[in-house]
Amino acid sequence: MKLYRYIFKRILQTIPLLFIVSILSFFIIRLSPVDPLAELRLNPSISKETLQKETVRLGLDKPIIVQYGLWAKSFIKGDLGVTSSGEKVSVKLAERIPNTLLLTLIVIFMTWSVGVPLGILGAIYNKSKLDRLLTILSSIGMAIPSFFFAILLLIFAVKTGWFPVGGLTSYNFSDLSFIGKIFDIAKHLVLPVTVLFTLSLAGLQRQMRANMLDVLDSDYIKFARAKGLSETKIILKHALRNAINPMITLLGFEFAGLLSGAALTEYVFQYPGLGRLILEAVMKSDINLVMASLMIGSIMLIIGNLLADILLIITDPRVRA
Amino acid sequence: MKRIYKVILTIFVFILLLGLCVNKDGSDNSYTIDSAEVVKNPDAVEINKTYPIPRTTTQNGIDYLQSQLPVGKFGGEFISSTIGEGPKTFNPFTSTDATSSAMSDIMYDGLFTSNPMTGEVIPKLAKSIEIKNNTKYIIHLRKGLKWSDGKPITADDVMFTWKDIIFAGLGNTSVRDSMLIDGKLPTIQKLDNYTVKFTISKPFAPFLRMLSAPIAPKHYFSADKNWAENFDRFLATNTNPKEIVTSGAFRLKEYVPAQRVVFERNPNYYVINTENKSLPYFDKLVYLIVGDINNQILKFEANELDEISLKGGDVARYKAKENSSNYVIYNLGADNGTMFLAINLNDRFNIEKGIKKYFVPKKKQKWFNDVNFRRAIDYAIDRKSMVQNIANGMATPLYTAESPNGIYYNKNLKGHERDLNKSKDFLRKSGFYWKQNRLYDKYGNLVEIDLYTNAGNTEREALGVMIKQDLADIGIKVNFKPVEFNSLINKITNSFDWDMVILGLTGTPVEPHNGINVWKSIGPLHIFNQRTSKNVGTILPWEKKIDELFDKGALKLSFNERKKYYDEYQKIVYEQTPIVYLYSPIRIYAIRRKIKNLYPSTLSGLTYNIEELYIDDSKGAK
Repeated sequence: MKLYRYIFKRILQTIPLLFIVSILSFFIIRLSPVDPLAELRLNPSISKETLQKETVRLGLDKPIIVQYGLWAKSFIKGDLGVTSSGEKVSVKLAERIPNTLLLTLIVIFMTWSVGVPLGILGAIYNKSKLDRLLTILSSIGMAIPSFFFAILLLIFAVKTGWFPVGGLTSYNFSDLSFIGKIFDIAKHLVLPVTVLFTLSLAGLQRQMRANMLDVLDSDYIKFARAKGLSETKIILKHALRNAINPMITLLGFEFAGLLSGAALTEYVFQYPGLGRLILEAVMKSDINLVMASLMIGSIMLIIGNLLADILLIITDPRVRA
Repeated sequence: MKRIYKVILTIFVFILLLGLCVNKDGSDNSYTIDSAEVVKNPDAVEINKTYPIPRTTTQNGIDYLQSQLPVGKFGGEFISSTIGEGPKTFNPFTSTDATSSAMSDIMYDGLFTSNPMTGEVIPKLAKSIEIKNNTKYIIHLRKGLKWSDGKPITADDVMFTWKDIIFAGLGNTSVRDSMLIDGKLPTIQKLDNYTVKFTISKPFAPFLRMLSAPIAPKHYFSADKNWAENFDRFLATNTNPKEIVTSGAFRLKEYVPAQRVVFERNPNYYVINTENKSLPYFDKLVYLIVGDINNQILKFEANELDEISLKGGDVARYKAKENSSNYVIYNLGADNGTMFLAINLNDRFNIEKGIKKYFVPKKKQKWFNDVNFRRAIDYAIDRKSMVQNIANGMATPLYTAESPNGIYYNKNLKGHERDLNKSKDFLRKSGFYWKQNRLYDKYGNLVEIDLYTNAGNTEREALGVMIKQDLADIGIKVNFKPVEFNSLINKITNSFDWDMVILGLTGTPVEPHNGINVWKSIGPLHIFNQRTSKNVGTILPWEKKIDELFDKGALKLSFNERKKYYDEYQKIVYEQTPIVYLYSPIRIYAIRRKIKNLYPSTLSGLTYNIEELYIDDSKGAK
């Protein structure tokens, strides 16, 4: 019961937070000197009447505060409005979200299933050759800027012809068999996954190693060793359970990054995900689209933190007290 | 210590590798010098080939259009690309951006089209036309034509398109607005199932070409009772492709957001080859949606694209490899774009409440309204260096208001080299003088000018720097101020408080009348002397003359008679130089060698005859 009340309280707290985030972002976007109609204005074949119609349709003729009010009202009703070109924002987002989720979920699954064990290994065999090798690899991984690495891989793809240059599916995708489709997507995913995997793996491995080292150094592990417990038992049962707690918080952040974490890589690889959509929307000051994505970002962050906290309550009895 | 050495060694090797990569890219720069030669090199130009236009032929009561080109092979696909976010709609009547319009043009044919070589109006969906008294246009449609779903194309579709969509003001009203003659719209009348009659109130030359607007399938739209209210939703990007009915060479197969648009052949298309087989040759036409130019280049190099428009330094790099490659490079010459430096001739007083001053300070007005001053600037500008250094040689110097590929381009205006002496002569004539290399007007005012352009556009920013240096050579101090696009547009269309501005506009090579927004003295884009309806002020004599020429040019229907008027307007602009034209970009395309039946055109581009193109990748083919 206590847990439910805690969750309810947390959700209530998010309402003012969302309000502040939305009002700040709305005003920043609207006050920035980007005119969504600027392109049309300088087009000699667009008549004044068309321009006027567009201004009214986008609500640009009203004061900013009224525009915000209209937006907030429809947002609360669950209507995300239309983009500057008249398409439904919810439809646009729904087109892209599955693609981004596909990419980020694969990356998160891979980094966690590889990074955590490697971190543990690094801690157990601290200062051994294996640990040093892992240190060098993860330093490189952390040091390479993602866009640069992505471009290198793209050039690699062009020169060798082994991988397609960006995108998610080939042009003849709809004519392929089911197996062919899976193979096609996999081929397109290799490079972007490699970039994101290398980057997040490094951080995760370092984090896990540091946590594990801390725990292995503590008195109760020394005591367990003195008691004569087997090393496997010490690590799996005592050390790991304590070392994993900070990682749960990290997992919460990963959840927040599910939809927005891969924007840069998506852009370089021309991946049809949410990141590319939002970036293009920001460039054109497509307010409803940008607002929707910012709100999704904030909500995901809040939910991620909440989930992490709840998980911690479940796994760690010390937090419950 | 050893370990530290190892780490340093690793880093060193890594940096070395990086350096190699960078060097490799850097070496490409050495080509840029050659790029101008590519443009001059006539080998790159294969434009002189004349394109035999398709002819009408009647078989079994159906008025086909028969391609006159060599018979090709059916099958395969053509893969092109579009930069940006892809189409926003497939509705040709609501689109306002180039990508959406290009996509809907593939799916919908108009009554007429332009001859890609001469620019004259030729029939497409229409079979023939009779023009009476220059005001009555009787159009005979082709008989037996079908939409992609098998329903016949008739006069009802034409009536529906013009009366219920365009004249009713649905969607983008630009076509409608430009058809208003003295505030009156043309009327349209159905004579029989295959004949319609347009009547206009007085002769209007651009009218015929405006009939190139696409024809909409009536049965598709009117299936919905409230189609007019829901007009924006028709042919939106989320429409099921199977429902879409087309008249063009292709119909939509699938649209995958941010990835591609795939068209498949329209089995009912009315263009046939000389063996009487229905075109197009390609089974599929694919447009990949790519985010930027760099990605486009990579995709072309990875053989994922069949054609690409080349920019700047890439041209020389591609040209160098052309002979050993599987692509051919075509130079289509100057495009419709014009880059220019506009001078603000505004001499009006701001009559709005609270602001009691001139839009442009009085002393500056005297300079800008002095034709000698404007011509001095014109002669001080070094267009050749601009073309070389800023456009990488991929442009042609420009001196006239019409772009050089236009059919109304005045060839007698030859332009001139940069000539500082002549420039200074002009200034002396108007009493300007120099003191310590700085220019002063005859009242002793130091000549100092603000130059604006939109920040972020690297090409225009580079132009600004060059103009600043060029004008410094005649003692004019230029303060170059790139500002946000939005504030720039506000200055030009609203507050009028600017001296000079660098801008670019896109014209139409076949119809100078489309320039009225810019050239009519009360036009909404009369940049160099923008008037508002409340504050017209005096209209300069040569502005009046241009107004008159545009009015007269629209009344005459024959090309030769019209040419006279438009030649004269270009001459006036050349002599008065309210706008100093800088250059027009040149279009260079690379396309795979296996694509045949190409007849590149300066007016229509490379793949305008997409239905006649085919793939021949047999070894003997060159």
